[in-house]
Amino acid sequence: MPLSRTLLADLERIVGAGGLVRSYEGRLVYESDMHTFYKGAPDVVALPTRTDQVVAIVRLCRAERVPIVPRGSGTGLIGGAMAPQGGVMIGLNRMDKILEIDLPNRCATVQPGLINLFLTRAVANRGYFFAPDPSSQMVSSIGGNVSTNAGGPHCLKYGITTNHVLGLELVTGTGEAVRLGGKVVDRPGYDLMGIAVGSEGTFGIVTAVTVRLLHAPEAVRTILASFVAIEDASEAVSAIIAAGMIPAALEMLDEMMIRAINEGSNAGYPKDAAAVLLIELDGPLAEVMAQSERAAQICWERGALEVRMARDDAERALLWKGRKEAAGAVGRLAPTYLLQDAVVPRSKLPTIMRELIAIGARHRVRIANVFHAGDGNLHPLILYDDRNPEELERAKAANEELLNACIAMGGTVTGEHGVGLDKAKNLPLQYADADLNFMYRLRRAFDPETIMNPGKLLPSHPACGEGFRPARPRVPDGAWI
Amino acid sequence: MSVAGRSVGKAFVAIAGRDGVRDDEPARAAAAVDGLVPRWVVRAASLEQVSQVVALAHEAALAVAPRGSGSALELGCPPARLDVALDLCGLDRVVEYNPADVSITVEAGITVSALAARLAPHRQFLALDPPGASTRTLGGIAATNASGPLRARYGTMRDLLLGVRFVQADGVLTWGGSKVVKSVSGYDVPKVMIGALGTLGVLGELTLRLHPLPDAERSWLVRLPSAEAAQAFVERVVDSSLQPNRLEYLGEQVLEAVFPGPTSSAVAVSIGSVEEAVVEGGERLAALAKAEGAQILPVPDAFWSDAERALTPSEGEALLQIASLAGRLATTQRAIVEAVRAGAPRARVWTSCCAPLGTVRVRLADTDLAMTTAITKRLRDEVAEIGGSVVIARGPSALRAAVDPWGPVDAGALALMRALRDDLDPKRVLNPGRFVGGL
Repeated sequence: MPLSRTLLADLERIVGAGGLVRSYEGRLVYESDMHTFYKGAPDVVALPTRTDQVVAIVRLCRAERVPIVPRGSGTGLIGGAMAPQGGVMIGLNRMDKILEIDLPNRCATVQPGLINLFLTRAVANRGYFFAPDPSSQMVSSIGGNVSTNAGGPHCLKYGITTNHVLGLELVTGTGEAVRLGGKVVDRPGYDLMGIAVGSEGTFGIVTAVTVRLLHAPEAVRTILASFVAIEDASEAVSAIIAAGMIPAALEMLDEMMIRAINEGSNAGYPKDAAAVLLIELDGPLAEVMAQSERAAQICWERGALEVRMARDDAERALLWKGRKEAAGAVGRLAPTYLLQDAVVPRSKLPTIMRELIAIGARHRVRIANVFHAGDGNLHPLILYDDRNPEELERAKAANEELLNACIAMGGTVTGEHGVGLDKAKNLPLQYADADLNFMYRLRRAFDPETIMNPGKLLPSHPACGEGFRPARPRVPDGAWI
Repeated sequence: MSVAGRSVGKAFVAIAGRDGVRDDEPARAAAAVDGLVPRWVVRAASLEQVSQVVALAHEAALAVAPRGSGSALELGCPPARLDVALDLCGLDRVVEYNPADVSITVEAGITVSALAARLAPHRQFLALDPPGASTRTLGGIAATNASGPLRARYGTMRDLLLGVRFVQADGVLTWGGSKVVKSVSGYDVPKVMIGALGTLGVLGELTLRLHPLPDAERSWLVRLPSAEAAQAFVERVVDSSLQPNRLEYLGEQVLEAVFPGPTSSAVAVSIGSVEEAVVEGGERLAALAKAEGAQILPVPDAFWSDAERALTPSEGEALLQIASLAGRLATTQRAIVEAVRAGAPRARVWTSCCAPLGTVRVRLADTDLAMTTAITKRLRDEVAEIGGSVVIARGPSALRAAVDPWGPVDAGALALMRALRDDLDPKRVLNPGRFVGGL
């Protein structure tokens, strides 16, 4: 349904003609996030620069029940920042200021459009950093990180975005700007901030974020260990965790990934390795020295082909280079891929890797792996040629089977990318009707008319519009009244 | 008691068995909350029983107060109603523990010491040390969001709770979160259950992140002439590469109780890591202390439990929890001293502050209702401009009836909380009246 002329005129009055993208070509830019499989351009894109503009836009849309989709840098991987039902997209890129850096209290307040890495750059010279480090951190916005509760390689030790958010300013689905949390911790009341982080724009629009800053570790040591069998690498991961270490990062690459990376860059991963582990330890120097020796020893004990320890920052960067180029390198293997990020309990890593190989063989698809092994967070890239529809079907079937296998092992549908449009249908694998109903109710408190990013995160239920109705437990009959 | 009342009692017996339901005077009196005596005390033996008890209460419009060890019943406003005290201590099983996952799923009634005993052989621990932790239940700690000095390094329940199974106000058994250390599938339900005092659901099962026990751990006390000097020292530590487990400012009375000496302020520090890093950390700490002109001495591990004991209020005393900022450590300490001097000059006051966060626990003795009220209000004014809070975590019922124990909550946020509570528990079955804004 096209937007009314009055709505467009009102939007223009709020953000100015220069803050509105109305042309077809202009809107096409916003039709998908990095999961280009899902496309849906908004009817118009508004680019506010202030919170009161966001409030005005939401109130306007609410009055006409027009869907609103917030968007940061559009680097999400889940079909989140796109508009399957059309409506108004609110692009937050112009709200990109650092509002305050408060080092005595080790926090900063920023606007949502600020690029993740820019915050660390602003405080690095004083020895601080912002911990969440999604691979997209050079381009993704902090608002987007908050929206998806983004993770990254180093969240094994440091936790995901939610562990670093102290406060939010949120414009709810009713157009109220509310402050949740703040610089001071332990605010009495329900932790609404805690559920707003990761709500993928379905509660409202984040217009300011207060985040923790951490003191940079004294020492960092990176180890690259290669193995002839992926099982050995998986066992090494389990052994390192069992030895009482919490590495900052513990990443694994499989044979197919190693080959693709080696073909395209000089990362120099061993050619005959079936698996590579990247282990990074950080903290006080004495701790890092002791633990990195121990980690290296564990790798040798598990039959490592080679264990390399970076001696300086340049060598560290080289060891990481291949890992960071992984997603790009896959292009050498196949035109397209399906990516998911299910998690299994860490002890199940060897089992799921065997299962994954079997699933690939069963569906005749190649699966390349590069993932956060330390927390059991898989990132299988299921390769296919999009010119062959039958191959896509096989890739999808393999993907579903793998997801089911992860859940059966006690895992979760998504570890860090989020749900979006892509995985909403998969949530019932993990949650019963009662669990989903509870989530609907959380959402309803913030957005009673379901205008905020509709169709994302929660699955729609065929039987009733408002969500899943759980069965009440039976009270023993006849005993009373 | 009415006929209907008797039949409800029979229904509870049908659910929890004859031994699980008490309606005799002594049992009911022992389960009273702020003088309100429940009509039944039901001890559930399983999560299914909890679900059925709450469903029954919901149908009969009864008010349920879930309880663990009963150590935090003085947190919050006096309840509006109370019919059923639901004792969860029988739910004390470990549901799933695979040490290689460094996480565990337990029933909510398990105590911290029982859990610790299960974890110790695997050199793992749950990094939570709220006051009186050993006999407290995990469910109670989650419902009250309790924490202690270890939060300086490991955070609070919100950093450790991965998944939660709970019973909603209508008895529906619900699960939120996940059993793995990293998950963003759906809303982060565990967060909203923490500190909610059971008003959004009765906590039944928790999946928790664990940590490896450090190879070595040692503690030191750094004596400083004033709170200002203590703050300067803390800033040096925080701005260094040291990674302390605890970094706790201790006020005069606590020091007098546990480590009498020449100064009125001190910072207690513990470092846990591999042996060589602990030794080296201790040396650096000494250097930082020297730079501040302070005296540093090693203290035994028991120091922490001694300090905890000094902070534990006796019957009739009050415990305030102040949330301020790290950068205002000294300001806040001075405000406490001044508020006490103005409101209750003869009062005794013990303070302890998680220095990197600026959260303070204040034990007040020898004050009356009017004095504690005045002190609380004055401190609330003090932290209002920074968005801080002062919660009466313990105190006589009369005190918590006279002054809102939670303090003011931002109107916009409170409206959302009310909408949520109204939607999930319109009949106010779960802990009516005890939470913020009388929810």
